[in-house]
Amino acid sequence: MIQHIDVHAVLQESVSGVYADLVTRPTGRVVRERIERAMATTQDPVTVARIDFTGVGCIDYSCADEIVAKLLRDRRAVVVLSGISDGHREAIEPVLAGHGLAALIERPDGGGELEALGAPEAAAALLHDLVARRLAVRTSAGTIALTLA
Amino acid sequence: MTRLVDVPAQFDDRTFEQFAGAYAAAARDGERLLFDAHATEWASPYGLVGLLAAGQAARATGSAELPLLTAPTHTEVLTYWTRAGFFREAAELFEIHGKLPRVKPAEQSDVLLPVTPVRAAEDVHAVVSNIQQRASAILASELALDPKATMGFAMALSEACQNIVEHAGTGGWVAVQAYHWRRKLARRVVVIAVADAGVGFRHSLEPTQSKRFGARWSDAAALEAALVQGISRFRDPGRGQGLAGIRRYLARWDGKIAIRSGTARIAIVPKWDDDVPLQDGLPAFPGAQVLIIIPEQGSTTP
Repeated sequence: MIQHIDVHAVLQESVSGVYADLVTRPTGRVVRERIERAMATTQDPVTVARIDFTGVGCIDYSCADEIVAKLLRDRRAVVVLSGISDGHREAIEPVLAGHGLAALIERPDGGGELEALGAPEAAAALLHDLVARRLAVRTSAGTIALTLA
Repeated sequence: MTRLVDVPAQFDDRTFEQFAGAYAAAARDGERLLFDAHATEWASPYGLVGLLAAGQAARATGSAELPLLTAPTHTEVLTYWTRAGFFREAAELFEIHGKLPRVKPAEQSDVLLPVTPVRAAEDVHAVVSNIQQRASAILASELALDPKATMGFAMALSEACQNIVEHAGTGGWVAVQAYHWRRKLARRVVVIAVADAGVGFRHSLEPTQSKRFGARWSDAAALEAALVQGISRFRDPGRGQGLAGIRRYLARWDGKIAIRSGTARIAIVPKWDDDVPLQDGLPAFPGAQVLIIIPEQGSTTP
């Protein structure tokens, strides 16, 4: 199954509701732990976790590391990031590259098309693995899309 | 006995060494300090937060009485320091002498962020939240930065503030201002200044790094390790991202960062500046002081 996690909502529950920015390591840690808890307590086994950043303002490097990099290292499920803005990418991409990691990004134009962000070798391996496990397919347009709805 | 510390007439990162020298000499015997700013004609955000850090240190290590501060006598200077939020913070650290004007800290001006205390992660949230709306207009319209740069600016600010929360062992201050930098660039700049009187980079990194450096371990080595090599005191491989991220952002927008801690100062110097990349043997000054400058885009030939 695909589990949808609304990061903005998790953030609002984690820190004072007036802030929309994912900044500071303690905040990142609390948000990640809540996401991990949500992934662990779902009744059906989670194959893909869609982590939705819609509504999140700024992400700093510390939060990108604490949330995205650590969720990817944990490998509980295939993590797909959605609602990612250019500003979010600016924080996430170098953090992933520094770890030699890659993450899947769902393109904002719909259609479930994916791209991999981060270290190039890890990105290629991630896409290859996803297709091999039949969680995604290569489309006629040459892109990658999730097979699960 | 009270020891005098003169605040330079033009108080910025360049004259900070003169101030730090006076502070180091005066603080040596633990007597009460008098910071004399009566003749100060101008202070940059770096000067203001640096003065607060000196007050913080004097309060923590000196006599039982609060250190004294003689406020500037120039009305314009007093008004600016008040608008910049300096006296609101200074009131807790100093016994202030001089008549202070009744003006509120700035809400609509080149003071993008008045002098703001940073003690915990919650304060960093507030700083980032406050800065984004005000900074975006300045960065895009006046500095000709791509609107996307605003997010990076908030990230850099967040990481600079987090250094206090994670490493200083005490609180500190941040201030952000835009101004026309006639002396150096003849163009507008946005300046972030962050200062604390905490343990400093050397002490923070010592448990994990001093053995590796051996006899070369010093304030300068600690600054180089943190800023150039991205080394953190934490063993977690994801640590050290903050300063590296700030450097990437500044490289993209031709900006500058300088960090002073203890007896050393390190700077990533862009082409438009002639600062010294690494200085050692400076007068001892507690904690860490960070300066970030982002210039108006276009030709930055001095």
